[in-house]
Amino acid sequence: MDPSEVEFLAEKEFVKIIPNFSLDKIYLIGGDLGPFNPGLPVDVPVWLALNLKQRQKCRILPLEWMDVEKLEEIRELERKEDAFTPAPSPYYMELTKLLLNHASDNIPKADEIRTLVKDIWDTRIAKLRLSADSFIRQQEAHAQLDNLTLMEINTIREFLLDSLNCMYKLRSNLQPGSTKGQFADY
Amino acid sequence: MFHAGVPSEEVWLVKMPCERKPMRYGHSEGHTEVCFDDSGRYIVTCGNDGDVRIWESLDDDDPKFITVGEKAYSLALKKGKLVTASSNNTVQIHTFPDGDPDGILTRFTTNATHVTFNSSGSRVAAGSSDFMVKVVEVSDSSQQKTLRGHEAPVLSVSFDPKNQYLASASCDGSVVVWNIEEQTQVISWPLLQKTNDVSNARSLCRLAFQPAAGEFLAVPVETRVHLYERGSWDHFGTLSDDLLTQPINVVAWSMCSRFLAAGSVGGFLTVWDVSSKLCVERQKHEKGFTVCSLAWHPSGGQIAYTDTEGCLGLLDGLGTSTAVTSSTKALAKKCAEDYDDLFDEDDDRLMDEGLGDANSPAKKPAVGEDEDEDDIMIPSTGRVRNRGAILDDENSLDTGSLKLGQDKFGDDDDGSSVAPAAAPLVPLRPFYEGPVPTPPQKAFQPGSTPAHLTHRFMMWNSVGIVRGYNDEQDNAIDVEFHDTAVHHAMHLTNSLGHTMADLSQEAVLLACPSTEELASKLQCLHFSSWDTNKEWMVDLPTGEDVKALCLGQGWAAVATSSLLLRLFSIGGVQREIFSVSGPVVCMAGHGEQLLVVYHRAMGFDGEQALGVQLLQFGRKNRQLINGEPLPLSPKSYLSWLGFTAEGTPCYVDSDGLVRMLNRSLGNTWTPVCNTRETCKSKSDHYWVVGVHENPQQLRCIPSKGSRYPPTLPRPAVAILPFKLPLCQTSTEKGQMEEQYWRSVLFHNHYNFLSTSGYEIDESAQTQSVKEQQELLMKMFALSCKLEREFRCVELAELMTQNVVTLAIRYASRSRRMNLAQRLSEIALDKSNQLQEEEPEVPEEELENSSTRRTSGYRQTEPAGDPYGSRENQEYDEELGEEEDGGEMETEERMETKKRPNPFAKEAGSPVKPSLMPIGKAGRSNPFKVAGSGKSTPSPGHSRVTNILDNMTSSKKLAPLSGSSGKSNKSPILKPLAPRAKTKAQSTLLQISGNKMANKKTPEAAEPAPDPQRQPDAAAPEPPTENTENKRPRTGFQLWLDENRKMIIGDNPDLDETDVIKEAMGRFRTLSAEERLAWTERAKGQTGDAADVKKRKRAEGGGGAEKETVESDENDAKKKKSLDPSSKLSAFAFNKN
Repeated sequence: MDPSEVEFLAEKEFVKIIPNFSLDKIYLIGGDLGPFNPGLPVDVPVWLALNLKQRQKCRILPLEWMDVEKLEEIRELERKEDAFTPAPSPYYMELTKLLLNHASDNIPKADEIRTLVKDIWDTRIAKLRLSADSFIRQQEAHAQLDNLTLMEINTIREFLLDSLNCMYKLRSNLQPGSTKGQFADY
Repeated sequence: MFHAGVPSEEVWLVKMPCERKPMRYGHSEGHTEVCFDDSGRYIVTCGNDGDVRIWESLDDDDPKFITVGEKAYSLALKKGKLVTASSNNTVQIHTFPDGDPDGILTRFTTNATHVTFNSSGSRVAAGSSDFMVKVVEVSDSSQQKTLRGHEAPVLSVSFDPKNQYLASASCDGSVVVWNIEEQTQVISWPLLQKTNDVSNARSLCRLAFQPAAGEFLAVPVETRVHLYERGSWDHFGTLSDDLLTQPINVVAWSMCSRFLAAGSVGGFLTVWDVSSKLCVERQKHEKGFTVCSLAWHPSGGQIAYTDTEGCLGLLDGLGTSTAVTSSTKALAKKCAEDYDDLFDEDDDRLMDEGLGDANSPAKKPAVGEDEDEDDIMIPSTGRVRNRGAILDDENSLDTGSLKLGQDKFGDDDDGSSVAPAAAPLVPLRPFYEGPVPTPPQKAFQPGSTPAHLTHRFMMWNSVGIVRGYNDEQDNAIDVEFHDTAVHHAMHLTNSLGHTMADLSQEAVLLACPSTEELASKLQCLHFSSWDTNKEWMVDLPTGEDVKALCLGQGWAAVATSSLLLRLFSIGGVQREIFSVSGPVVCMAGHGEQLLVVYHRAMGFDGEQALGVQLLQFGRKNRQLINGEPLPLSPKSYLSWLGFTAEGTPCYVDSDGLVRMLNRSLGNTWTPVCNTRETCKSKSDHYWVVGVHENPQQLRCIPSKGSRYPPTLPRPAVAILPFKLPLCQTSTEKGQMEEQYWRSVLFHNHYNFLSTSGYEIDESAQTQSVKEQQELLMKMFALSCKLEREFRCVELAELMTQNVVTLAIRYASRSRRMNLAQRLSEIALDKSNQLQEEEPEVPEEELENSSTRRTSGYRQTEPAGDPYGSRENQEYDEELGEEEDGGEMETEERMETKKRPNPFAKEAGSPVKPSLMPIGKAGRSNPFKVAGSGKSTPSPGHSRVTNILDNMTSSKKLAPLSGSSGKSNKSPILKPLAPRAKTKAQSTLLQISGNKMANKKTPEAAEPAPDPQRQPDAAAPEPPTENTENKRPRTGFQLWLDENRKMIIGDNPDLDETDVIKEAMGRFRTLSAEERLAWTERAKGQTGDAADVKKRKRAEGGGGAEKETVESDENDAKKKKSLDPSSKLSAFAFNKN
């Protein structure tokens, strides 16, 4: 899965918008949307919100967690805890990116939020790397990783699997007790 | 309220009897304390630099100093002992004046905040930031008493001169009197504001016991000094001064106990004569720094004071220069003499002041006037209530204290020259204790935030938002539309200073108050105009100000300060003008309606007395509400006024209660929502921006911690549900009642709209009626369950006629024959009414009965009544599932078994000749049972119900055909139900049919071979026929209708069943084409040719009536499966 696919999945998340047009309910495969009343907040998927925003048909309301104070709290907690803390949203990174890129004018303190989310992301990825490192060092067979988001899993998946495969190959070469293996160890 | 302007110092400084010496630098910045030594020779100060300085006089340029620590927080001096509280958390003793350390008296865990000696100098009390107060013997520091109980740092302590009590004030807001020996609290008053630290306290609250007599305890509370009587601890009186606007920090008694000096934040120094409670001295710190300590010279003629900047000052020549004598009596006498003079002078001064200065107490009688002036700002701050309370409080307190003072004064100085001079002071405040008039609320625009804000909403309504900016760089107005299709956003420079705005789909209306040069102006941006000139402006006559404005459809209304209401057309033509009977508070417009709220009269005790007028323009100019009082919550004011989107007047008061006009109840106002109930915290509010009746939405903006939302960040609209404040809405009954009446109320607008000639959404209206009937039926069932038959009848009165028949059925099913009978009377009444109202009904009925007749044939079988039992069983199921299952069910079953007998009798003879009733017999069977079982001698009765049933179905069919063109969403419009359900249903049917016909057990009948067709065909046809019985039902019917006469003519002796048999036979002989043609015709008639299900069903060959009934049942079933909680509603529902 590449990041764009994950982002695609994130676009099904709901976000509140304030439309500036009036439209009856629309019936889609994924469910009914609307009705749209000008000035009245309504829940729509992110893809539609962004589309409407680009056509200047709506104003996007920031998601609940997209708030400097809340994010600072999460960041502190994330830094304090060794394990992963629950992410503000399963798609926090993608949503932040999407909304801030397309609707930064509707989100107060957009820059701060961007920085904070990036901080949280960095902290979590660092943790992930660290745990991957210890996982490999201690040659564990399995590990429990809670509260990881799809995007985070994706970033490490390829690398981790490849390297594990690689190591497996190396180790299996080592197993027969061949001299080559011994040699490699030195 | 009299602090609007402090009189210029010069005015009274000139007359000051004392001299204020210039301040001098004493310590570094910070808290500084001062005291005199016993002889009065030295002034001793301590301060933030940790030094104690001993000044021989104020001009002493080289004072002696003792260093006591890094910081000195407090000092006390008596009998050659200097006690200081220093930063190393200790209370130390030094000798005085030598300054040698004399040991540590006590320690705290943090610094002490105040130390004081008792009158004899034997004990020291110290209060500390660690919440404790300690009382220590000076001679033996091991003898300590600790007073625990404060919950915050102690601010100050004071010894009772008789050594029994100790008073302390703390940051926890309490002032406590302790019994020292018992170390217990004697009394505690919550007088102060709570803080967490001394440094954050508004006031140091340096309280003080009266020395010598020790009669009173003086406690500085905000800008007053409370006097408490020692012993009883009653509040004896209050010392106050109108010029004191800041909290008092410190009070100090003169040695003669007669005068009390106070120093306050902001540098006010005030001296009162305690007995008369009059202010005898006022001074102000030259720089206005906060006075944090003051001390009387032992002789009484001087006051030394220090401020928080470390400076020392002195007031000299206070005229109290009486020598300290040991005899208090002599002292008092002397004081009195001295002060006679003082009073004279002082009173004169006050009088002069009174004449020259509006702020003096002499103007007090003009309370009303003052309040008027004051309250100009009240509505904008939105705190009338609080403010009212404060005013009240102030008045009563002042009156009380003044009264006391007056009495004393009279006693003391009776006959002296002072009395006449003081007389004018006495009636200054009226002794009026009745209701206090409420300041009338100011005019406002609903949906706007207060005008004093620099960024504000000038209007937020359902059309858009008008924002006003008024800061240094910009004075502008932004107009934005919710729906950009109306118009693009506008930005206007606000050079005229508009303060009011309204917005509609056609125009923006702005108005500004008049200024000195310019008249009040009305500006209209008529953006929807089709010509090029989209703006007009009107000047109001001089002296007339716009107070409120609103826009309707094609008109604009302006209320002015001269109580005129001016109407303009939207293009700028002046129209009607009329007078309003009071100052307008606000207006709202919608379509042709104009709603005006004005002050009807003066309100009292926090209430507003508002009146409301509702006018309708257009074709029939008329007044709908003629100046009736507008009900508001107690002590609240109007905060929003408007119309719902559907045009029903609505308003919100400051208590958050939303009320709506109930046009069906003589234009009364019904509360529909309390926005405060949904608020999380007390300071949160909902700012209403719109009300919608369909769907029921209250659109408002939640604003945290304030009444008004800020413009930035842009607030989002939230939706609140409505809820009528009925009792016990937590119970099922209350809930349904609330739902019912809310539904009734919120659908009133249909009536209004249709009478005023607007288009209405009929489907929505029928939907609402159905919803209401459903609720009624549920309530009916609930009451039945609770054995409340009277209540059932009451509910039935509210039902429509066809729902009553359902109720009847329900009642008879649950074996409430009495109830059923009563209900039938109601049904009769209702049908009579209906007949009077709708003469066309019979025609329809005829038409319907003719179709039904055909169907009737199929149901006239001797076994009869498949429906009754089927429905019964169905009912069994429902009830069983829903509530008290078992019991009911068995009951019902028993009934089912019993039923065939009485019915068979009836079906046997009287019913047969009349086809129509028989047709109905199936439907209304349960009732028939009731009728025949209980009252066989009244055949008329049963006939009545049959007629009723016919009407029911005719009623039912009418909307069916009428609304078939409309959307298929509506459940009534679905004549046929999904197939899936039929199976179970028909199985049931068959069971019962078999049960009755063959007296078989249900088990035996269960494996019916063809459950779909068999029930429809029912018993009449032989099974052989049944299998090939694939004729199109409706086609056959039509054919039958046309050919019946022929058949009957051919075989006059056939009875109905045989006729049909014969007819079937003939119909089958027709060619396929012919049959198809009939089918097509039938399809064309029903208008629902595409309905495959229907066609399938039609193949079953059932009768039209039966079909409908069955489909109705199916509907019911379907509904049930969708929403198991509303099974009963299914009944209400399919009958519509």
